[in-house]
Amino acid sequence: MKLPNALEKFADREHVFDFVNTGTQGPKVDISHNVILYLEDISVSFDGFKALNDLTMYIGAGELRCIIGPNGAGKTTMMDVITGKTRPDTGTAWFGQSINLLQKSEPEIAEAGIGRKFQKPTVFQMHSVFENLELAMAGNKSVWTTLFARMTPMQLERINEVMEIIGLQEHQHALAGSLSHGQKQWLEIGMLLMQNPTLLLVDEPVAGMTPQETERTAELLVSLAGKHSVVVVEHDMDFVRSIARTVTVLHEGSVLAEGPIDVVQNDPRVIEVYLGE
Amino acid sequence: MFASLASILRNDRATSVFLLLLTVVTVLASLANLLFPEGSALHVSTYTLGLLGKYMTYALLAVAVDLIWGYCGILSLGHTAFFALGGYAMGMYLMRQIGNRGVYGDPVLPDFMVFLNWDTLPWYWHGFDMFWFAALMVLVAPAILAFVFGWLAFRSRVTGVYFSIITQALTYALLLAFFRNEMGFGGNNGLTDFKDLLGFDLQANTTRVALFISSAVALAAGVIACRFIISSRFGRVIQAIRDSESRTRFIGYRVDNYKLWLFVFSAMLAGIAGALYVPQVGIINPGEFAPINSIEAVVWVAVGGRGTLYGAVIGAFLVNYAKTYFTIALPEIWLYALGGLFVISTLFLPQGVVGLMNKVMQRKQEARV
Amino acid sequence: MPQTRITPLALMASLLRNCLRRTPSSVRQLILLTGLLIALPAHALAADKPIADTPNVDQTNIEVDAVEDVDPPISFESLLDPLAKASFSEKEKVVDMIVEEKFSGSRKVLAAFLDNALYFDAQTGQVLIISESEGQEDSYFDAISGDALSGYSGDAKKIRTNNGLRKKLRGAIARFDLDDDNAVVRLGAIKQLRDDPDDEIMPLLREQLKDETNEEVIEQLTVTLAIFDLNSDDADVRLSAVQRLDGELGNDVYNRIKILTEEEQDSQVKSAALSVMTRIEGKRSFYAGLETTFFGLSFGSVLVLSAIGLAITFGVMGVINMAHGELMMLGAYTTFVIQQMMPDHIGLSILLSIPAAFLVSGLVGIAIERGIVRFLYGRPLETLLATFGVSLILQQVVRSIFSPLNRSVQTPEMMSGLLRINEIFAITYNRLYILIFTLIVFAGLLLILNRTSLGLKVRAVSQNRQMAKAIGVRTDRVDALTFGLGSGVAGIAGVALSQLTNVGPNLGQSYIIDSFMVVVFGGVGNLWGTLIAGFGLGIFNKILEPYAGAVLAKIFILVFIILFIQRRKQGLFPQKGRAAEDH
Repeated sequence: MKLPNALEKFADREHVFDFVNTGTQGPKVDISHNVILYLEDISVSFDGFKALNDLTMYIGAGELRCIIGPNGAGKTTMMDVITGKTRPDTGTAWFGQSINLLQKSEPEIAEAGIGRKFQKPTVFQMHSVFENLELAMAGNKSVWTTLFARMTPMQLERINEVMEIIGLQEHQHALAGSLSHGQKQWLEIGMLLMQNPTLLLVDEPVAGMTPQETERTAELLVSLAGKHSVVVVEHDMDFVRSIARTVTVLHEGSVLAEGPIDVVQNDPRVIEVYLGE
Repeated sequence: MFASLASILRNDRATSVFLLLLTVVTVLASLANLLFPEGSALHVSTYTLGLLGKYMTYALLAVAVDLIWGYCGILSLGHTAFFALGGYAMGMYLMRQIGNRGVYGDPVLPDFMVFLNWDTLPWYWHGFDMFWFAALMVLVAPAILAFVFGWLAFRSRVTGVYFSIITQALTYALLLAFFRNEMGFGGNNGLTDFKDLLGFDLQANTTRVALFISSAVALAAGVIACRFIISSRFGRVIQAIRDSESRTRFIGYRVDNYKLWLFVFSAMLAGIAGALYVPQVGIINPGEFAPINSIEAVVWVAVGGRGTLYGAVIGAFLVNYAKTYFTIALPEIWLYALGGLFVISTLFLPQGVVGLMNKVMQRKQEARV
Repeated sequence: MPQTRITPLALMASLLRNCLRRTPSSVRQLILLTGLLIALPAHALAADKPIADTPNVDQTNIEVDAVEDVDPPISFESLLDPLAKASFSEKEKVVDMIVEEKFSGSRKVLAAFLDNALYFDAQTGQVLIISESEGQEDSYFDAISGDALSGYSGDAKKIRTNNGLRKKLRGAIARFDLDDDNAVVRLGAIKQLRDDPDDEIMPLLREQLKDETNEEVIEQLTVTLAIFDLNSDDADVRLSAVQRLDGELGNDVYNRIKILTEEEQDSQVKSAALSVMTRIEGKRSFYAGLETTFFGLSFGSVLVLSAIGLAITFGVMGVINMAHGELMMLGAYTTFVIQQMMPDHIGLSILLSIPAAFLVSGLVGIAIERGIVRFLYGRPLETLLATFGVSLILQQVVRSIFSPLNRSVQTPEMMSGLLRINEIFAITYNRLYILIFTLIVFAGLLLILNRTSLGLKVRAVSQNRQMAKAIGVRTDRVDALTFGLGSGVAGIAGVALSQLTNVGPNLGQSYIIDSFMVVVFGGVGNLWGTLIAGFGLGIFNKILEPYAGAVLAKIFILVFIILFIQRRKQGLFPQKGRAAEDH
């Protein structure tokens, strides 16, 4: 697998960047057991409908995991639980060994190092591409800091890097609202990169992208794995096949099957769920 | 701070023009009042000056509303509660300054307390005989209310219309409370019959001019402070909150804190506006808490154009000038006009007068090209 | 036995007659039926009135009596004539004799005497009764014959009374009434004696008890006697009296027993009194609680009525309609106008106002939706401002047409008065009717939303507008109708409000914040939540009021709701599911 030149550079810079910001980063994730995310026995119900049903799943540190499943399988709800948007009725969710996700608010979880890309691209429409990336940038996000914040040359360089990665350098002063759907997807991925999270949750990243863009996204995600843990929810099986090592199939709120893509694809239960009874 | 002021003046043409205009008007009106004798064609009457000063305090209130509504999407329908609290703090100082010149001649107790047969000053009236304390309270009282209320509301994510409705309930509850004589704020009649401020006679022409200039300075300072906030990264965060609150949260911003501090700052601006308003109109009563006043303030912003500070100022001046004109010339028409203004500005002028002007200018430019 | 202040049969009948003359037969039957239902109890109640007020009815009774009385040895005339110059003690003797002889018309004379309405002519010495009625000239009657003396112009002088004499007279009248055939009259007499016990008459009551058949009268008799017996010197008598009074609710009983618990010497009686008092207190606080609950429900019904229309426009459609209060105001003014058009038929005018107000407010609501709100869907804050503008315009329209002054809408007879449950608990009819009316409106709305095709479409559009459109629901029309429905209900609420307060241009403003609070508190989009929140807040308010006063109670409630929304911004009964997350 070839890495684009820019990515190499980015990966190198990364280390420096982390080092500079250690003081302002949130609690470091303890991944001493090589597992970054523990979801155990999680149930969520809306009005009697069980969106998640005793879901148990572990994501390893540095892993790239694909999650597939038919509509209503609970993929988005699972992401909501991890990012603190939805509180489960039962179960536990731990980020590494020491961070209980169920006791944290969304910004705290984001600060701890979980970044999320939404199914529908949500960028700040009234801000420029540059400003979107600036907002997403890792660092101290308290009220007083932002009120008197000045852009450091290093931060500026970082933004330029990411803009290069996502290919929006020419559009840096354009309002995000004026971008095309694919460009918004890229911008959102760029914001995720700026956030520099330990765990990335990526919901349908290639919807609305051209095959070339899809390929680039696949490369990007794969390159991120190892240093970061990545969880991708996707319907596009070709895309999944191109990036995935381990695939988890969700069905009716719990794990139906888990394993290498070829094994999972031939699992009769999975076939039944996808092709109907 | 001065550096950022300079950068604002350099980069933001609209605000610079506005500040220049404000200075010119203030200086000219003050000079015209002081230098030319009454009856002269160039004389600006003290009444007009007082009116302009009142409009400026309204404009400051409008800026406060615009800051949270236009830039952060928080529609407060209770912002005059902060305005009135600032006004009451100033009113309490002015009441204490009356001293033994009241109708009952009590050296300490204001007239209404004597009338109610109270024999001691309630604890919360202490200290208001000192200007610095009252001035502090002008900021602190609205800030505390805004902090407590905002902390509760934003922490539990009360947003949108829910927030609007409970702010309205808040100011309504305060209205009812201040109507009660037992509260010790003069009940129904409020605080009035003021004599002097810092030793200057409130009826004197020079005092009025000074108050007018103070209002102008406060307005300018308010606009500059808001400008500074908006052009900082903080400002970009609050606008991000306006456009997509949950996204901002997922990036890692503590949205509640941002909203809370913005709300508190806005409340303090409103408090200052109220404090300058009271000595110029000579009275503060619970009517200032009425929910309709808050909604009117929102309409000033809507008419002028929200999301631009000078738009809020223009709106406040336009609507209040219209109000002054109509309530004298055609009192019957005023409510129709105001009601119509609400409807028209929301239906046809989503960006207000400023938006309309921009559009017209843009068209002209396009035509030229 | 329920009692009312005023429901004379005659008034009812004339009202009914007037209604009947101008209405088609089907409506006539309906009115006749309702009239009958109202008139029946009214008739029974009318008998309860003091006879002095209704001379006509009374006279026929007396004439019948007169036939039975054969040749009294002493003439009525000879007794009455000396009254003019008699001393008070002589007058008392005369009263005794009149009671003894039971002349026809004596009760009336005694009643007039007590009312200071007995006069004598200075020249002829003729004894007269003057009946005064408001707005009319005094009319004169001959005391002995009861004949009206039209055109009397003599010099009438009052026959004076003093306290002792008045007490005597009351006793005398009570004796008359105790013999009356009508149980209601007897009951009244006993109640009179209970309030003002008289040593001389008590033995009479004991006699009465032996012959009495009417249970209610017996009950009242034994209680009255028991109260009297509390003063007995015999401890056993006091004891049995205390035991008899167990569970009685009247203030007099409570006060007497309370005194007994403090002053009684006999330990057995004292302990009995103590335990009886505890039980009475228990019962009284129970009824006091019931009363608070009713007041709360009544206040709550107003809240529910004013909020329920909002629950539809705000809850189902998500539209903030600040002109909601003004739509209520329009309903109230519709009632006023209809009443002005038919001043003789107040009851009917209220009934007609209900559909009329629904139509007026509903149409104005549809106009608002079509003209303004539909351009602002998805922009709730703008909708709020625009509809607030509409509310200002509507207020001014009403001010221009009807003047800024408050108008009062009359309450029909059937809705005034008191429904008395027992001695310490009574409820006013108008509040009771409005409570029932609220429940009917609520049930109606629930039916419309859950059982009709409009309701189905409304729910469909509110859940998924695009999908509803795709399957062929005309969302435009559904929006307009839903808004019209909510507005129409506001109009109906206005009709009810017109029965409770004055109708003025500011009527709506005073309810709008409360209404929003109720809807938000109950949970947006949930009619049941609105109902429970309205009643709950009403009761809560009435519980607070005695301790905090009306204004503070209101402030407490507002603060409470503000705090409550912080904790649970979805209200008491939140909508669940993913859709609710976007709110």
